[in-house]
Amino acid sequence: MMTTTPDTHILDNGMVILGEPMPHVASAAFNFMIPAGAAMLPDGCCGAANVICDWIFRGAGERDSRQLSDAMDRLGLHRMDSVSSSHLSVGAAMEAGNLAAAIDLYADTILAPHLTDEQFAPARELAIDAVHSLDDDPRQKVALHLRDQFYPHPLGRNTEGNVAELEQLTAEQTRRLIARRFDISQMLFAVTGRYDFPAICRQLEDRFGSRRGIDAPEPQLKGPGRHYTHIPNDGAQVHIGLMTACVKPADEDYYDARVAVSVLSGGMSARLFTEVREKRGLCYAIGARYHGLRNAAGVLCYAGTTPDKARETFDVTAEQFRGLSEGITQDEINRAKAGLKSAVIMHSESSSNRVGGIGMDHYLLGRVRSLDEIKRRIDATTLGSVRDFLRRHPFTDFTVVTIGPRPIDVEQQRHE
Amino acid sequence: MSFTTRQLDNGLVLIGEVNPSAESAAVGFFVRTGARDEILEINGVSHFLEHMLFKGTERLSPCEVNEAFDRTGAQFNAFTSEESTVYYAAVLPEYLEEVTRLWIELMRPALREEDFAIEKNVIKEEIAMYMDMPSFDVMDRCRSLHFGEHPCANSVLGSIESIDALSAGRMREYFNRRYSPNNLVFACTGRFDPDRIFAAVEQGCSGWPVEPADRPMEHCPGSGLRRRIEKANLVREHICLMSEGVAAQDGRRFAAHMLACIIGDSVGSRFYWELVDTALADEASMQFSAMDGTGVFCSYISCAGNKLQTVYGVLERVFAQLAAHGVTEDELTMARNKVLSTLVLKNEVPMGRLVDLGFNWMYLGRYCPIEQDVEAIKAVTVEDVVGLIRDLRPGRFTCLTLGPLTESLS
Repeated sequence: MMTTTPDTHILDNGMVILGEPMPHVASAAFNFMIPAGAAMLPDGCCGAANVICDWIFRGAGERDSRQLSDAMDRLGLHRMDSVSSSHLSVGAAMEAGNLAAAIDLYADTILAPHLTDEQFAPARELAIDAVHSLDDDPRQKVALHLRDQFYPHPLGRNTEGNVAELEQLTAEQTRRLIARRFDISQMLFAVTGRYDFPAICRQLEDRFGSRRGIDAPEPQLKGPGRHYTHIPNDGAQVHIGLMTACVKPADEDYYDARVAVSVLSGGMSARLFTEVREKRGLCYAIGARYHGLRNAAGVLCYAGTTPDKARETFDVTAEQFRGLSEGITQDEINRAKAGLKSAVIMHSESSSNRVGGIGMDHYLLGRVRSLDEIKRRIDATTLGSVRDFLRRHPFTDFTVVTIGPRPIDVEQQRHE
Repeated sequence: MSFTTRQLDNGLVLIGEVNPSAESAAVGFFVRTGARDEILEINGVSHFLEHMLFKGTERLSPCEVNEAFDRTGAQFNAFTSEESTVYYAAVLPEYLEEVTRLWIELMRPALREEDFAIEKNVIKEEIAMYMDMPSFDVMDRCRSLHFGEHPCANSVLGSIESIDALSAGRMREYFNRRYSPNNLVFACTGRFDPDRIFAAVEQGCSGWPVEPADRPMEHCPGSGLRRRIEKANLVREHICLMSEGVAAQDGRRFAAHMLACIIGDSVGSRFYWELVDTALADEASMQFSAMDGTGVFCSYISCAGNKLQTVYGVLERVFAQLAAHGVTEDELTMARNKVLSTLVLKNEVPMGRLVDLGFNWMYLGRYCPIEQDVEAIKAVTVEDVVGLIRDLRPGRFTCLTLGPLTESLS
């Protein structure tokens, strides 16, 4: 079995450094998780995290935008930048020999971005364009609206942004956001693959050690949004998004929840795929997955179907959620567990996949779980424990968003 | 890494590359058949047939197939393109033999009428889904415009009409011709015992009957036509460019990959600096696809309607500058390092390695160790890339734009 000894070091200012060695690979991947995700920013500037994620790369340290990008390309970096609810993450995967040089370039973008007015305009324009592009990508759009509507505000805030608010956003305001949210004391650095941990710690101490934390506040949560929203679009399909509450990643019931969701929609033999697609041919794309934040979590489901089948698709899908606890067999549990365990092992074979996992573990749980621990906890679930979980946490109340030619009658379902 | 190969009497080729330090294994059947092997009347049959293989055999029902895979925890699926159909599974080593035996069994499907009828609905839903994805739709339409009379113009999904008209009998007839063992490659990568896995394949596949399965291999320079198609529900302009490339069998394919990276990598390329950095387009990228006997450079650009004419102008300028001044040594260095790290990262995982191993054999009929590909990429010179620009003239592209109704553009 793979040796997975997580390396951990914490700088005096609170910045956490995590590592997980993978001795057989020639690559390394790293990730800086900055507490400046969509939900961490104040109201009125939805989408600012995307502007920041672009703007900080438009010149940093001694390099202008072009020089910085060329330096990254010379190292052959496979760049991985993203904005989630909690974090703005920047990082890369590469041939392991280029790791130190790559970390230095990224440290520049975090500590010494130029943030010129001239470069702000295109960064903001690209963020606005990305929101407009969602109108031509209904499947992605439905997922973003669903999370926005399901989670207590602002946890599900649209990670792409809001056009009206982006149009109002100024360079000065965005600089202030960066100053307030690029909080070293809450920053996480993760590295996987082939690396020298003491050398990385020295390098990060040298670059980040003298910076003090600023104790950036957590957002105040407000209650959930509407039950059902329909967004008109004269496309070929109705895109149905459905979400229901589930236990959080740190919850004692977490692994039972994951096995339950896997019985619902783990593999092709799971209930949703079997009932909606295999038996009835209602959809091509149908699936549900666990979606966990630190302070809230849910099961997120998508189904795409042509308008005349939309109602039946919704009904059959909702019925699979409601009736999940009924008649679960030992074979279903075995399949769910086998799928979850092998996904965990195979996912961790690649340095770039695993790097996001260890950073997120530390943020959500305060520590990194070893692969052995995850497998052991999955193994410990039983038919009885999963049934018991579903009795205590039934999937019965739904937040629904549809995009398509006409709405579907979800209210009728709700009161049946 | 160690490589093993064997060929059965009926022509089926078995290839395997063992990586003893891997945590998993990957296995797949590569079938040399796709949309280009169809006539218009049965367009979409390759992809539909790919779905039908999961519907079981005389012994296994559709649900039993899914359950058998899921019991092993395998990540399994299949995909169909213009020229190949690939069935694969990534799995923990202890389940590899079981999954291999399952794939072997499925490669001789029952193709039952009742499953065919239900799956027809799923295929039509998939066609509808892609109609709502203009970034995909524009490429499908552009491919058809670019390849014209060449069979690579065929749509992989087919149309609602061709799928409606298709019968299970026609599919069976197509299957018998195209899934002949001499038209398939079995491949395996990661941690496994080749003797054991190959013995299972030999036992399961030796009795498969042989049919002649050929394909015309004509090169296609492309039509160079330009069109705009309007759809009322669209908001953005989706532009697809296609131009002549080199074949998968052509030694210049490595230089072609580097050229595509220089022109249209998602960051740091000419498209990036001219179109994305300046916020004229929110996406602009180019890829090179090496195919059987031909090849194509394919670009996708997304922009606002009021920037469309400016974007067209910039594209003309980018290609004119390439033709006039070629590429620089510095650009080639950056492209080389990016292409190399992508190759190494992908091949680090057995599933990623399976795809390269299988396709190399399908196209070249020989084993290409990763080191050989790395050396070939390192050997590409500025002169090689400039030679390609001169020979292929990427500025002579076919262009299809999919966008909203003209009157809605302000």
